[in-house]
Amino acid sequence: MSAVIPYHRVNVLTGIKSARLIEDAAEYANLIQKAKRPLLVLGPRLLEWSLDGRLLLEYALEIAKTANIPTCATSHVRKKMVELGVKPDSVYDAVEIVNALKDPDWRGVKKEGNHDLVMFFGIRTDLAEQTLSVLKHFAYTHLKTMTLCKFYYPHANYSLPNFRKDEQWKDFLDSLVECLKK
Amino acid sequence: MAQVKEITRKLEEIREKIKAEIPWEPVGPTPMPEIPDLRSWDMRLLKTYKPFYAPFCDLCCFCTYGKCDLTENRRGACGIDIATQQARFVLLACLMGCSAHAAHAGHILEFLIEKHGPDKKIDLGTFIELEAPNIRTVTGLKPETLGDLKIAIEYVYKEITHLLDSTHTGQEGSYLDYESKALHASMLDHVGMEVADIAQIVGFGYPTSVADTALVDMGWGSVDRSKPMILVVGHNPATSCTVIDYLRENDLYDKVEVGGICCTALETTRYSDRAKIIGPLSRQLFFIRTGIADVILTDEQCIRTDMPIEASKSGSALIACLDKAMYGLEDATEMDADDIVRQMVEDKKHFAILDPKKAAEVAAKVAMKIAPQRRNEWLTEEEAIELAKKCTHCGMCERVCPNLFALNDGIGEVAKGNFELIKEQFNLCIGCGKCEQECPNKVPIFKIMQVAASKETWKCRAGRGPVMDTEIRNVGAPITLGTIPGIVAFVGCSNYPDIRDVAEMVDEFARRKYIVVLTGCAAMVAGMWKDAEGKTVYEKYPPDFDAGGVVNVGSCVSNAHITGACIKIANIFAALPLRANYEVMADYVLNRVGACGVAWGAMSQKAASIGTGCNRLGIPVILGPHSSKYRRLYLSRKEEDDWRVMDARKRKIVDTGEPSPEHLAYVTETKEKAMVMIPKLCIRKNDTPQGRAIKLNHYISLYKKYMGGGLPEDLHLFVRRDPDIPLVYKKEVRVYLQEIGWKPKEPVGLPTLIGTYPSKVPLDAVIH
Repeated sequence: MSAVIPYHRVNVLTGIKSARLIEDAAEYANLIQKAKRPLLVLGPRLLEWSLDGRLLLEYALEIAKTANIPTCATSHVRKKMVELGVKPDSVYDAVEIVNALKDPDWRGVKKEGNHDLVMFFGIRTDLAEQTLSVLKHFAYTHLKTMTLCKFYYPHANYSLPNFRKDEQWKDFLDSLVECLKK
Repeated sequence: MAQVKEITRKLEEIREKIKAEIPWEPVGPTPMPEIPDLRSWDMRLLKTYKPFYAPFCDLCCFCTYGKCDLTENRRGACGIDIATQQARFVLLACLMGCSAHAAHAGHILEFLIEKHGPDKKIDLGTFIELEAPNIRTVTGLKPETLGDLKIAIEYVYKEITHLLDSTHTGQEGSYLDYESKALHASMLDHVGMEVADIAQIVGFGYPTSVADTALVDMGWGSVDRSKPMILVVGHNPATSCTVIDYLRENDLYDKVEVGGICCTALETTRYSDRAKIIGPLSRQLFFIRTGIADVILTDEQCIRTDMPIEASKSGSALIACLDKAMYGLEDATEMDADDIVRQMVEDKKHFAILDPKKAAEVAAKVAMKIAPQRRNEWLTEEEAIELAKKCTHCGMCERVCPNLFALNDGIGEVAKGNFELIKEQFNLCIGCGKCEQECPNKVPIFKIMQVAASKETWKCRAGRGPVMDTEIRNVGAPITLGTIPGIVAFVGCSNYPDIRDVAEMVDEFARRKYIVVLTGCAAMVAGMWKDAEGKTVYEKYPPDFDAGGVVNVGSCVSNAHITGACIKIANIFAALPLRANYEVMADYVLNRVGACGVAWGAMSQKAASIGTGCNRLGIPVILGPHSSKYRRLYLSRKEEDDWRVMDARKRKIVDTGEPSPEHLAYVTETKEKAMVMIPKLCIRKNDTPQGRAIKLNHYISLYKKYMGGGLPEDLHLFVRRDPDIPLVYKKEVRVYLQEIGWKPKEPVGLPTLIGTYPSKVPLDAVIH
């Protein structure tokens, strides 16, 4: 695969191991469904972005609910979740949850064992890239990472492309939810 | 035997340097410590606060054996692994920061010794007897003259050499040892900063032993544009203060405006409160491109490296005043001043002039001559609309923006005649200029920003230097008991992620009666916000180092006064000897002084060393989201890490289970979360029940405010007994604690890490 330039150029990869770019929602759904203990990490950009008037956080919560994925609310995401009547399964800041995830013996947010797939959604790209880099280097033996934002994240294992239009992103997320229902 | 002799000889040399025979205090165990001397302390810290590495790059490209791929546990050709490589980078960053301040200190010291002589007494005024807490603690030297400060800075230079050596290929192989070295370099940074600022206070007569310093004008709107203007940029005030002298001596001070960007602005306003602060470093390129400055004087650190190009574009004259940044310009130090002026005016040449007196004379003369011919007008809204129409919304500006915002949206709105979004975006702009560089349609973004930039003026309190000993006597008890809930220090660069964040946080914590301390660009932007009554935080809150005070101690090098204040609490209030007694001071601060640094917009390597220096002294630091690019944090895992301390009164190791402070270097994404973390990181094991209840009151109330109600998930870890629970939340917290099966714990009488790890320091040393 030729090099993919991430949307925000400050996150350009300076290495040899970069994320597999996936555009097919069914493939994403398959990866999520195959995971034994996935985790959805929710960042504060989900409170700022919306697609067709629907807050991104609501998409995220629908994905979590559909696939029965536990959530981790970072930053102040918890506040909006509470307003929406949803209790996060865990509250850690981005660096704290990653610090726990890199320990293979961590018990996970459900105390059932560490997670094997961690999905990042709504963390600003520079912080997300750096925390994905932590997991790429120090947790590669026990977990994979995936991103759901509309940009390419080279340090993840699986990433969406840089969607040129928000409609493409919305279509992907809608399809993902449909695929996860199957 | 030979080794013993060598150690004895070395110790004798050190004792001579620090004038050990002067018995102001007994010399402690680590005078002028070298790399291994405080290593045990570092290792104890790193046991709880483990390095958390976020590699910025998968490779090492330092030597010709590489590039080496370090992913998936691979080692480089030299044997290095990814963690050690990150730690090596961190050490390099800390060394860059430390050497920037140390070189500044060395230069200003030489300049001032030449002016006043080496025997010029260090006198910081009636209320400051403990003039140099960092120097005294680290080196064991009590500096009495400017000449004595040279001894301290030469020690720093020596250590920098050894530390830098360790980063060479085929040296250190342990990330923990690299971290110990980074902590060492950063401790030295606080020595260097203290040397610089004491020299400046003494040599320039800056304010000292006073809280109520002048309120100075801030913002480009404060510049009288009918006058010639000299802009000073950087950190080193040797030339900027000489410019003020020249203007005064030649009756020109009311005819010429002097304004500054970044720390030189703060330094210059400490010298003359008629000088103006233009703004923080994020406003550098913007202001230069307005063309308001007739002459630009650069000194060192955080100045743009393309200054000659930018100065030429805007028709400003440029003088590079320090050898750190000469830009390839002709060195005119030995040339005749009038000849330089002629060439600058007629040929529009820029020069390096390393003699501050000559640079000042040339700057004033050139400004007077060229100003009448070059009055630039700001862009009008109509012109901005026309220019904005060139934007095709390709999005390149967003893609290259380090602060990740969609500038093209704002430009698009300008094209429609709507300026609201671009005004918002101006607050996010870090002023790098990459957007304009990448724009395929050559939209002059910075020019358009002129319509977004408020012409409002603000007030900033001039930097006051060290916290007074008398203030420490007043607040020592309430801080260590916890009844003043904490000292919050907003330091360093300010621009990331939103320029308004710092003022909002300052207001929140001053209102809650924390002591708020500021330095550098953070001190500026704190003043760039007004409340409903039109007051900045400097006008709204008292300038005292006391509950609810907002204290600008000064520039970047004044950060040493923040660590210095914490050391002063241990020495003046707790009466613990500080001389060459770093471990005892750091242990006291870690366990008993509820201080927390916030480097919210940190950009530079200096910020890395300032923060890491705070960490070695036991002060936790919160950083903004972009600071994950520093590659390393110090994080604990609160439920699992080692929270044992020695109860020095009972001489017994106690497992407190209490993660206080929870982290030493921590990144968070939003100011909302930072505001929840600050009160938590001010909690210390030494808090009395009353103090703990006050601290938890703030933690809970800020959690409720920003995290959507309920109680913090980790609250139980910080409640030792029922009296720790804040009265206002008593009922709710009791129910929660009962639900989770919480059990009360005995508070620790005198918490210390001494005695929990191998150290030369006896336990008795921490009992006061």
